Amino acid sequence: MDTLDAQTWLEEHGDYLFRVARRQLHSDELAEDAVQETLLAALTAQTRYSGDASPRTWLTGILKHKIVDQIRRSMREVEIPRDHEGMEAVDSLFKQNGHWADPVRPWGNPHSEAELSQLRRTLDLCADRLKPTMAQVFSLREVGGMETEEICKELGITPTNCWVLLHRARLFMRHCMELNGFSKVGAA
Amino acid sequence: MKWMTTCKETTELASRAMDEPLPFVDRVALKLHLAVCKNCMRFAQQLHEMRQQFRGETVVDDDTPGLAQEARQRIAHKLQDKLDS
Repeated sequence: MDTLDAQTWLEEHGDYLFRVARRQLHSDELAEDAVQETLLAALTAQTRYSGDASPRTWLTGILKHKIVDQIRRSMREVEIPRDHEGMEAVDSLFKQNGHWADPVRPWGNPHSEAELSQLRRTLDLCADRLKPTMAQVFSLREVGGMETEEICKELGITPTNCWVLLHRARLFMRHCMELNGFSKVGAA
Repeated sequence: MKWMTTCKETTELASRAMDEPLPFVDRVALKLHLAVCKNCMRFAQQLHEMRQQFRGETVVDDDTPGLAQEARQRIAHKLQDKLDS
C-alpha cells in the first residue's frame, strides 16, 4: 500500500471522522486530536489493513478507540463529585410519593431526515449540558459502549456511584429533551 | 416487600437494566410496573432510543462543520513528519 494513502485518507475521510468524533466528544479540539491520532495509528497499522472493509469503515473502527481514549483522558482532569451532587434536580422530577411530577411525553417517531437531525441535535445539546463527571460516565457508556465495570475501574469509583451517575445523567437528558421541545404536547 | 415499585424506583431499575442484567425480583418488578404505567414505559423506551442515536454509526450530518482548514493542515504535517521519519 503506498504511503501517500494517509494524506488521501485525510483528504477523503477527514470531515467524516471529525463529525463522528465531534458528535461524541462535544469539543472541536478533542475531535481534531482524535482524528489526528486515528490517522497516525492508521499509518502505523496500514500493513494490517486487509482491504476487506472500506477504508472509511476501517478508519472509523480505529477512531472509536481513540474517542474512548480521549474521554478517559479528559476524565482524569475532573473531580469525582460527592454522592449527593445533583440530587435535588432529579428529585424535583418526582412527587413525594414517587410518582412523576409531570407526564412523560413521547418523542414521536422522526419521519423525515430533518426531524431525525433535529432529534440528534437536541440530544447533543443536552449532552453538552451534563455536568462534567456525568457527561464522561454517560459518554463512556452510551457512546463508547464501555461496560460499567470498566468505567468504575477507570474512575476509581464504586459500581453504585457509577450507576447512580448514569441514572441521573439519563434522567437529566430526558428532562432536557422535553424542555427543548421534544415532546408531543397533547399526545398523552 | 411492597407490592409495587414507585415511578422513581422504576426509573432506577430501567436505567440499571441498560447496564447489567437485573436480579429476578427486580426484573419482575420492572415488568409489572411498565405494564401499567405509560410514563415509565416511555421513559424506558426513550433510554433505548437515546442509546441507539448515540451509538449509531450513520448518524453523521453532512451539514455540520467539517475539519477546520487549520487542523487539516496541522494533521497533514504530522502525517508527513511520520512518513519522513
